[in-house]
This record gives sequence, structure tokens and C-alpha cells, in this order.
Amino acid sequence: MSLKPSTLAAPLVFALLALAPLVLDDWRLGELSQFLAYGILAMSLALIWGQAGLLCFGQAVFFGLGAYAMSLVTLGMVPGLTAVTSTWAGLAAAMAVPAVAANVVGRFLFYGRGLRGAYFGIATLAIAVVVERLFINWGFVGGLNGLMNVPPLDLGLAGWSFELWEPVPLYAAMLAAAALVWLGLEAVVRSPFGSVLRAISGSEERTAAFGYDTAGTKLSAFTLSAAVAGFAGALFSAQFAFVSPPLIGFALSTEALIWVAVGGRGALIAAFLGAILVKSAEARLSEALGASWLLALGLLFVACVVLLPRGVVGEVLAKLDGWWGKGRKDG
Amino acid sequence: MLFAALDGLNYVLVIALVAMGLVVVFGLMNVINMAHGELFLLGAYTLSITEMLGGSFWLGLILAPLLLAVVGLAIEELVVRHVYHRFLDTILATWGLSIAIKQAVVLAFGPQSRTASPPFDFAVEIFGAPYPAYRLFVMAVSVAVIAGTFLLFFRTRFGLTARAVIANRRMASCLGIDTRRLDRLTFAFGAALAGLAGAVMAPLMSVDPQMGLGFLVPAFLAILVGGTGHLAGVLAGSVLVGGTDTVIARLWSPVVAQIVVFTLAIVVIRLFPRGVVGGRERR
Repeated sequence: MSLKPSTLAAPLVFALLALAPLVLDDWRLGELSQFLAYGILAMSLALIWGQAGLLCFGQAVFFGLGAYAMSLVTLGMVPGLTAVTSTWAGLAAAMAVPAVAANVVGRFLFYGRGLRGAYFGIATLAIAVVVERLFINWGFVGGLNGLMNVPPLDLGLAGWSFELWEPVPLYAAMLAAAALVWLGLEAVVRSPFGSVLRAISGSEERTAAFGYDTAGTKLSAFTLSAAVAGFAGALFSAQFAFVSPPLIGFALSTEALIWVAVGGRGALIAAFLGAILVKSAEARLSEALGASWLLALGLLFVACVVLLPRGVVGEVLAKLDGWWGKGRKDG
Repeated sequence: MLFAALDGLNYVLVIALVAMGLVVVFGLMNVINMAHGELFLLGAYTLSITEMLGGSFWLGLILAPLLLAVVGLAIEELVVRHVYHRFLDTILATWGLSIAIKQAVVLAFGPQSRTASPPFDFAVEIFGAPYPAYRLFVMAVSVAVIAGTFLLFFRTRFGLTARAVIANRRMASCLGIDTRRLDRLTFAFGAALAGLAGAVMAPLMSVDPQMGLGFLVPAFLAILVGGTGHLAGVLAGSVLVGGTDTVIARLWSPVVAQIVVFTLAIVVIRLFPRGVVGGRERR
């Protein structure tokens, strides 16, 4: 693997983000911490969409399941397990519940004749609508009001407690989590498993003809992606101290698609930056532009899909790689 | 009981009306138009605003499909044309359009709901009980549009060329059929159907920027359940989706009905990927 600008992009991005506490005030830093959770969600979507070509219209279902699982555990609301309220147990549940859900749904959708392409997209869209409805009407998780007073992240173990209240430690923990997720997923993308995913995206029949278990590969990727999305949801709920049905539904799912399309579906770091850039722009511009912001975002999304299929960040990275390669050849 | 059956039939026919525009575009162009719900919305607003400006219901009903055909042409030319060869991206591009159109409507006319009044609001006696005549009119329009679409596709020269393109696009274009022109016309036709559906439904529902989505998902599920290989699949799918919804909504509640119908639809789509009517498999 040659050293290309796109390889250096991710370490550079995380290094720059690590400097953010020096320049941002507490409010902005708290906001950026939440955007990091969205960034992790975007990376989970980029894994299945950008790599395996599975257009998922319900990624927020897994984000929301993670957020609810985390909240129920840390609030001590799980029947029979009310004493277990540690952050670690919450995070474990927040990854396990969406992973199991995705595995069950994936088993049904991928095997046999399986649903592909648009059919998979529409099915996940319908699932997102159904799950949101269910949570709105489910009294145990607070219905439309959701769950309030979700405890903050507590990194303590065995009686020792270290709650992340202050913006800077919280931000550091979130950034570390995002960097870890990126490292892990990038390793998956660069592994032979990642190559099979891209092969499936290119042509599922051909990949199957080469003897790969395409349904099983898609299922593993879908399950992993759901666990990562759940992790992001857990981190988000603990910071936000509040979960409600909009976190699990179809609106956030679509937002995630926009981040990934605008950033770039082909590279994890591009999707991650897409989420952070779009959310930051929204925070700055939505007051100035009001309702026009969503119109502008919709049009930007269309423009990216039509003109820049690699996304804004992805396109920049590809251009940089191109110049770099040319420069080295010339020199 | 009779009214429940009539209301159910009404719902089935409206879904079929919305789904007809979708399936024409999907079948012919292999484009999933996620902005269809917003075209429906624009049709309803056209009627509501025509009435507000003093025009009659009938003027609005004629204006809506015409205006939407123009909007459809513009969308095809500016967006859809560029992503034909990237199938999944057509979903995303039209989805982005749906967000933009919805928000443009909010900006132009505000988020609050508007009203549209029916041209007549008397009731007719059916087996001794009153039933709103306008609902019967909506059903009649739906039946007429569905019949018209079938005639167009199976009894006219345009339908013949269109079916040739569906069967084998490259061969059709080799035989001298202008597929670009046909794509434009088809998309405009699909948009006009959405506009007509929106206009005719406007007096029966609250006309607000969110009204499109409520019909888009059931219409999609109806198409996939029924199968995209044949226009008749739309009817079968609409009957299954709309009928189940009505029955369960009556027995339990509309919320339960939506959850059950969507879940069942996913199961049916998974078990019968070609739809219950079958037909040639499309990607």
C-alpha cells in the first residue's frame, strides 16, 4: 500500500479534532461531541452502503435501539436487572440489541431469494416507519415523551466512579470512541472480508459464482453496522440525557443518508466528516436561514447524488490522490 | 358495515391511483420516484390555491395534472436523466427532491394545513343510508384513471412503443423508437397522475406539507406486493394493502393497522419477490 493523501486524511482529521478544545468554547464543544456520535452513525452506514451497496433507509432504527437500550439499562429499568446500571453494561446492551435485531431482519431479508437493491431500501424504509410507530405507542419506554434523565457516561469500574460531566473530558472520550470505531471499521474495509463486500456491491451473482457466501457476508456486515450504530446511539443518549421516538425513526435515518451522500460513501472518513460538516453547517446556518436551510440541504443532497457520486469530501480526497500520483510520476 | 366496505374500497382505489403513477415510471424507466408523494402534495395545493383565488374546483382539477406534468418534465430534465444508469441513486436523488419540494411548500405557504372544498357536499342514499357523494366521485375518478391507463398502455400506439421499451429498451431504440422522448413523456404522465390524485383527494384530507408521505409508503408497498411486472399487479397490491389496513383499523386501531400492514407487506415481498401477480422479474 503506497502512502497516498487519502491514507493520511483520517489521522489528520482526528489530530485536528483533538485540538478543538483549544479553540471552541464549552457550548460548541458539547455540540461537537454530539456530532461525533452522528459521525459514528455515518460510518456505520458507509460500511454497508458504500462498501456492500446495501442502501439502508432505516439506519437510525439501530441508533435508536442502542439509545433506548443504553437508557433502560443505566436508568435501572430493565425488568429483573434493575441493579445493573453501569455505563459498560449499557454499552454492551446498546450494541447487542441492535446487532440481534439486524441479524434477525437480515437473515429474513438476505437468504433464499433475498431482497436486493431498491426492494431492500423500501423494506428498510417500511421497517423504520413501523419501529417509530411502535416506540411512540409503547408506554414502557415513555411513548411520545421518551425517557428523561438518562445518566451521563461513567467510565468507572467496580465501585470507582468517573462521570463525564465536564465538556472537555466528555469530548475526549467521544473523540477516542470515534477514532476507535474508525480504526476498527477501516481494518474491516481493508481486510479480505472488505474486498468481498465491495465485490458484492459490484455484482452479487459474480461474487456468488466465485464461491463466496454472499448472503452470509452481507449478514455479517449488516450486523456489525447495526452494533456500531447502536454504540453511537448509546453515546448520544448518555450525552443528551434524553431519548425519544424521533431518534429511532425515519427522519434521522434519512438525515444519515444525506450526511453519507454529501460526505462520501466510499470512504469511512468522508462519511464521518460529512456528518460533522453537515451538522455544523446546520447549527450555524439554520438560525440565519430558517426554513430555507432544509431546502438548501435537500438541493445540496440532490446535487451531490447527481454530480458528485463520491461526495464532497470523497471527491476532494480522490483529486488529491490524483495530483499526488501525477506529481510523483512526473518527478 | 356497508359504509366500512365503501370506505375500504375508497382507500383501495386511492392507493391504486397513487400507485399507478409510480408503477408507470418504475416499470418503464426503472426509476423509483420517491418524490411522488410530494407531487401528490403539489396537486392538492394546486387545487386548494385555485379555490382560494376564486377559481372553481373543476378548474383546479384540470390545472393540477397539467401543472404537475410540467413539473415532471422539469424534474426529468434536471435530475432524473443524469442518474438513469445508476439505479440506486435515482432513489436518493428523488428522495432529496422530495425533501426540497416539501420545504419549498413550507416556505411558500407556511407549515399550517389548508383546506379545499368539494364541488358538492350532498349525500346520496345507498340502501337507505346517506353516503357522501364526493367519496363516490373520488372512486369514479380513480376507476376512470386506472381504466384510462390500461387503455393507454394496451390499446394505443404510444402504449405499444412503451411496452416495447419495457420489454427490451436497446432493441426498441434500434427499431427507431425515440426512448428519450418516451422517458420524458412517461415521467410527465406519472407526475400528472400524482397531481390528479392529490387534487381529487384534497377535499377529503387536511392539505399540509406532510400529506405526501402517508400515501407514498403504502403505494410503494402495494406495487411491490402486487408485482411490478404487470399493471394488474398494482390493483392486486392495492386491494391487499388497502383492504388489510381497513379491516384491521376497524377491528383494532389505525396504528395497529399500519404496523401490521407494513410488516405483512415486507414478509410478502420477501416471499414473493415478483409480487403476488408474478410476471417477469425486474431488477
